[in-house]
Amino acid sequence: MNRRQFIRDVFLWSAGTTLAIPQFTILPEALAAEKPSALLSIAKGGDYAGLVQRVLAPLGGMGHFVRPGDRVVVKPNIGWDRSPEQAANTHPQVVQAVVRQALEAGAKKVLVFDRTCNEQRRCYANSGIEQAIRELGDSRATIEHIDSRKFVPVQIVKGKSLTQWEIYKDALDCDCYINLPVAKHHGLSRLTLGLKNSMGVIGGNRGSLHHDLGQSLADLATVIKPKLTIIDATRILLNNGPQGGDLKDVRRTDTLIASADPVAADAYATTLFDLPPYAIESTVAAARMGLGEMALDRITVLEG
Amino acid sequence: MHRSGKALTPSGWRKIGQSLFLLLFLVLFVNTDYAGVDELNWAVNLLFRIDPFLALAAMLAAKTVIALMLPALITLGLTLLFGRFFCGWICPMGTLIDASRRLFARANTLLPEPGQRPWKYALLLFLLTAALFGLPLAGYIDPFSLLVRGLTFAVHPGFDHAITSLFTWTYQEAPAWINSLTEPIYALLKRFVLPFSDKVYTLSVLSFLLLLGVLALNFVESRFFCRKVCPLGALLALTARFSLVRLAGGSAECGQCRQCRAVCPMAAIDETRTIAVPECTLCLECMTHCPRSRIHFGFLPIGNGKQGPNLPRRAMLASFAAGALAPLALPTRPHARHAESTLIRPPGALTEQAFLGQCVRCGECMKVCIGNALHATWLEAGLEGIFTPRLIGRIGYCEYNCTLCGQVCPTGAIRPLSKVEKHAVVIGRAHFDKNRCLPYASGTPCIVCEEHCPTPDKAIKFREVEVTNSNGEQVRVRQPYVVDRLCIGCGICEHKCPLEGEAAVLVTSAGQSRHPDQNIRDGY
Repeated sequence: MNRRQFIRDVFLWSAGTTLAIPQFTILPEALAAEKPSALLSIAKGGDYAGLVQRVLAPLGGMGHFVRPGDRVVVKPNIGWDRSPEQAANTHPQVVQAVVRQALEAGAKKVLVFDRTCNEQRRCYANSGIEQAIRELGDSRATIEHIDSRKFVPVQIVKGKSLTQWEIYKDALDCDCYINLPVAKHHGLSRLTLGLKNSMGVIGGNRGSLHHDLGQSLADLATVIKPKLTIIDATRILLNNGPQGGDLKDVRRTDTLIASADPVAADAYATTLFDLPPYAIESTVAAARMGLGEMALDRITVLEG
Repeated sequence: MHRSGKALTPSGWRKIGQSLFLLLFLVLFVNTDYAGVDELNWAVNLLFRIDPFLALAAMLAAKTVIALMLPALITLGLTLLFGRFFCGWICPMGTLIDASRRLFARANTLLPEPGQRPWKYALLLFLLTAALFGLPLAGYIDPFSLLVRGLTFAVHPGFDHAITSLFTWTYQEAPAWINSLTEPIYALLKRFVLPFSDKVYTLSVLSFLLLLGVLALNFVESRFFCRKVCPLGALLALTARFSLVRLAGGSAECGQCRQCRAVCPMAAIDETRTIAVPECTLCLECMTHCPRSRIHFGFLPIGNGKQGPNLPRRAMLASFAAGALAPLALPTRPHARHAESTLIRPPGALTEQAFLGQCVRCGECMKVCIGNALHATWLEAGLEGIFTPRLIGRIGYCEYNCTLCGQVCPTGAIRPLSKVEKHAVVIGRAHFDKNRCLPYASGTPCIVCEEHCPTPDKAIKFREVEVTNSNGEQVRVRQPYVVDRLCIGCGICEHKCPLEGEAAVLVTSAGQSRHPDQNIRDGY
């Protein structure tokens, strides 16, 4: 290759990249057609590895969501430099069990990541999640630090508050996205649950979303669409959320909630805090946009 | 080398030694970073702890023995045995000066004049005296401080930026087959060479220019800095006068070639081919180039009359007087009464005067700071405070559970703190600018500061009030306020505040626990 050829090649490569912004639109109506009624599963118990299996069983097991050869993203909450018992992050044993289930269902690759609030490495290490993934000893399962090159601008066509935002490519470009939040107290949204957990896959100045948080989260839910939401309520932070730090604020509840319907999962999890689903703005906004079911009487609860 | 490549020449061995020590230094430098656990065992502070000049300056300033700096005695002890080998073999700045000599060489570069260079002794005397009397300047000119600052603030982040830009371009523009080659390279660089995240530093360009300047002095004369400026070199030269092992062999009668003089980068060999021990760094160039192989190591009687520092008595007195008298001007500045309120020191920093005395401006705390919160001070702490660390909340914040800065500080200017101790140290305190804070200024909900506040009982709390917002609607919003007794001044609220430009929650040094009375010195 001579210089002239090289320059020509360079122009050729960059010619393909226009300013076009990828659009990811899956109509909620189409999804609603797939799922005639909101199914939700709940399981309780102290053995968290077994608990994951039990909560998924009534929904058809992990095999119902992960097909052999799938590229899977598991998105826990790893936002804070806190230990597992402080209940600010998803429990490492729950993350490990979910990843293991996905691997056993035949996933080609399982990627775990979160855009943290505290320093990334400290969060990954002290949440116990990095270690939990390593312990699996499976090269298909990886936990990665955020690579800022991977945030791509996405049009949010249906968005009311947000119309465009940077979203992490891997969260969009996968076969199965599993949302794995921890349920806990939050000063503005009252609770952080599944929809709020999506903030861990977006770039930009996230703080500005707080000006209209409920609607912003619902808008994001029109493009970030988990096939499965598992809410970790093995222990819940009742105060001083979302990062806590005082064990007096933590209550052990040994509960997992799973649903293919992200709104139903949030709505039901709200009741663990003795609050009604409509107390959470994002749940209300998402239900209004037809993204899922929030009426408890129209959610079929299965015990795993 | 003109000799065939079979055996390494003596100076070849030296170059290998220099390269290994430089590599060791760079490995330590890159690894002065969080490594997945709270405790850091190896850091580039090792280099500073074997620096007898900084040790002496810090101890004179503190007027006590600093145990952390005692390894510097090893360097002095070895210098008593082997002379200034440290400058020729170990000092990474010396190695870089040697390595860059060709870059700056010119045809008519002056052949350095042999003989004693008294001015570095004058500088040494001035710096040590000033340190004792309360004007700490040693870190400005110490070769390691200059080097580590330049690398930390400019070279390392600059290199990271260049590499990351390149691989971002290939990642976004190049076809997949190119990426299958470039991405693994990038991953390796990320893992072993580049900083974990991109960093910015105040005074980065200045630090770089100073480092470049030291190297560029080669342009004037080879190893100019080492021979005429370096106070560490001066201290080692003073010690080397008494060294046991030294190079010798040439004499006035040995021959006419004067090869040894021509190759000596330190210009330590005079017309009679006598090697001046205080100037000889044992680089072994003379040994390598002597056509008759006359030069050898030997145990030789200590000193002949020419070996003293040769500093004119008047200059010595002047240095001493300058060092002793200059500090008298310091209390005349306003910040002797009112400390600059934006000057937030790292957690564990000693009281200001002791801190300034013991800080050697090595930049390690800023290198290791996981939140990119610590930055080089400019004139906020006075002329003697340049390059000392301060927290700038808008750029970065102090990570609640991190204790790395105290662990890497080579002199204890920042005390090492346990996690529990650190949680209790107050470095400053936040306050709200209600004219800009959204819930106050426009009735818009926002709680980002409270969300990030790390104390288990949050130092930022809310009052829920009914206000008329910017659209004229009656709304209930939660307005944040700071609980002074809980706030530790970590700055995360200021850092994460989503407003553009200046944050609406600001941290100042008010309330800092290292000297509670400082901020009210002139009060009622």
